[in-house]
Amino acid sequence: MEWPKNTERNKNLRQVIAFTSFKLLSYAVVMILFLILAQIIYKGISVISWEFLTAMPEDGMTKGGIFPAIVGTFYLVLGSMVFAFPIGVLSAIYINEYTKDSFYKRFIKLMTNSLAGIPSIVFGLFGMTLFVNTLGFGDSILAGSLTLGLLTLPVVIRTTEEALKSVDDSFRHGGYALGATKLQTIRRVVLPIAFPNIITGLILSIGRVSGETAPILFTVAAYFLPKLPTGIFDQVMALPYHLYVISTSGTNVAESQPIAYGTALVLIMIVLLVNIAANTLRRYLGKKVKMN
Amino acid sequence: MTHLDKESQQLKADMIGMWNLVISQLNKTREALLNFDKDMAHEVVANEKRVNGNELKIDRDCENIFALFNPVAIDLRFTLAVLKINSNLERTGDMADGIGRFILNGNGPFDHELLKLTQVLHMYEEASSMLVDTLTAFEHENTKIARSIFKRDEILNQINIISIKVVTEYIQAHPENTEQALIILSIIRKLERVGDHCKNIAEEIIFYIEAKVLKHASKKQKAE
Amino acid sequence: MNHIIATEKLNLYYNDFHALKNISMQMRPNTVTALIGPSGCGKSTYLRLFNRMNDLIDGVKITGDVRVEGKDIYAKNTDVVELRRKVGMVFQKPNPFPKTIFENVAYGLRVNGINDNGFIKDKIEQSLVQAALWDEVKDKLNKSAFELSGGQQQRLCIARALAIEPSIILMDEPASALDPISTAKIEELIYELKENYTIVIVTHNMQQAGRVSDNTAFFYLGELIEYGETKEIFTNPKDKKTQNYITGRFG
Repeated sequence: MEWPKNTERNKNLRQVIAFTSFKLLSYAVVMILFLILAQIIYKGISVISWEFLTAMPEDGMTKGGIFPAIVGTFYLVLGSMVFAFPIGVLSAIYINEYTKDSFYKRFIKLMTNSLAGIPSIVFGLFGMTLFVNTLGFGDSILAGSLTLGLLTLPVVIRTTEEALKSVDDSFRHGGYALGATKLQTIRRVVLPIAFPNIITGLILSIGRVSGETAPILFTVAAYFLPKLPTGIFDQVMALPYHLYVISTSGTNVAESQPIAYGTALVLIMIVLLVNIAANTLRRYLGKKVKMN
Repeated sequence: MTHLDKESQQLKADMIGMWNLVISQLNKTREALLNFDKDMAHEVVANEKRVNGNELKIDRDCENIFALFNPVAIDLRFTLAVLKINSNLERTGDMADGIGRFILNGNGPFDHELLKLTQVLHMYEEASSMLVDTLTAFEHENTKIARSIFKRDEILNQINIISIKVVTEYIQAHPENTEQALIILSIIRKLERVGDHCKNIAEEIIFYIEAKVLKHASKKQKAE
Repeated sequence: MNHIIATEKLNLYYNDFHALKNISMQMRPNTVTALIGPSGCGKSTYLRLFNRMNDLIDGVKITGDVRVEGKDIYAKNTDVVELRRKVGMVFQKPNPFPKTIFENVAYGLRVNGINDNGFIKDKIEQSLVQAALWDEVKDKLNKSAFELSGGQQQRLCIARALAIEPSIILMDEPASALDPISTAKIEELIYELKENYTIVIVTHNMQQAGRVSDNTAFFYLGELIEYGETKEIFTNPKDKKTQNYITGRFG
């Protein structure tokens, strides 16, 4: 029997072309990222100084530092995590370990997924209605943290769920087969294995929270507040909102531009550091889990 | 020691037991022949059942080892050799049984001159010691001893060949003893067969230990 | 009562699928029983009855009687955790926990409320010795269990199961993921463990069933086709289907 004619001509050439174009596209993505970073660093690096990081803003935000915004962002991140972590992790454990594959489980999943898709400004409005007005927290760290917490809850639930799902069932069965209860198996076997991935998810959600503007717009952020908060019912400044303000509606937009870039640089650095921390921690914990 | 090792060891022990039983059967027929001891001959015939029982047990054990352990290499050769040695020993046992029956049917003590002329007692010694030596070779995995068996079988063959002439002459001289002379001739035939069985057994032992097939080989090859 | 495990007219359904059909079978203490049969014949499901691992699967329904040491283990008042302490299990894939070798074996003791460190230490040594692993790991008990080879990991899992002193050990194809040498070690181990434990083993490997077991049960399409002495099954099976399966003519 005659072998049919090969219709795939220039196989190797095609391969090279395809491969090269994929490579160029991926480089382009990296390039864009670098361009953004370079621009921000170029324009912002000049204002970065110890004073910039630790001083209050002055002269209608055209001079001085961004200290209250950094502190504010720190409090908001901390507050939202205190709220979102326990609830998120525990619900993920419940969904993944306890509920059987039922209508109820699918319903919860649908809801959490939808929650993740809601625009952040909607969260802001919801937070304003519920926390600021109905519950009477006013514009405050508490209201802002709760709103940010709500926003990040689906992310925490989903990353935790994924982390739990990636734990092979054979570990669970091994636990049960030794006479461990479900709770013992989750606590002593499943969670330690899933821990690195859970932590990574949590840290990544910190990155996300620290950069959100819309949810804090109506719930906590102060336009200009050159002092540090004293309690959870105080308003604070926050980096992303500060950035938004001085580049759109400051007292002198043109004059405060370097400060805007400086703020952006600080914000990006924080997000970057958080990401690096997440990776390092995961690697470290991953090794530690294997060892123990 | 692996599970299979334990089973093989048990099989080997059973095999040695079978061997000793057959050797004692053969030796008893010698006593019975020499002293015209019908009780002894009777014992041999009765014991044949034990020989057969042993054979069946060893066969079954081999079958189980094949079925359950799928032995390979030396384990496989060992089990195969045991299986074949077993049937050779059982046939040797049959020979003893046959001799015992002849003696039971005999109607008086055998003429010692006849025994001497035919060298039947010498054959007995040779056959019995060949059986003992094959046992030693098997027990200690000694192929040198096993190889010595081939030559000694020749002695038995020689005696067997000349026996016709010897017995014929004896019958001519003592026609009244024709019956016992024919019995002795038959016994000689059987003892010669024992020698053949020993030879087969020796071949199996060499096969098991050295993985060499000596069946149908020339004498020179066997001596190597 | 001479049977440590017994099922009587046992039926098991996965939703509508009738996975085990009217199985009546008894096992004596200190024996190794091999469950063989083609994939999907129900042998693993049958094995998992005895420590109620099937409970973890949705839609399983059981009728009939399953008795372990004379007790109906599907009775309402059964303490499943207690049952699993008595009926250990070794899985197909070695599944040590991501902990140290020491903690792996200690796990079963700890979850059963034992905190006496001296006792735990002794028990760990004893279990590892029984599992023929002690000599290989005694100097690295604080190393991760993942540093062991597959065969060692599986023996660690056996040691882990032995530590809580079960009377029965269920093994679900314990050597199918291992190399031949490790497999031989596990098989020898099973043969030795028989002295103190009752073992039920599921295996795809007929030779393995022959080597390690006293009794063999052949399952086909959810039915128990033949159950008897392994010697009998392997030399003179009564049922044509058994013969075809063990001779490799189908399955």
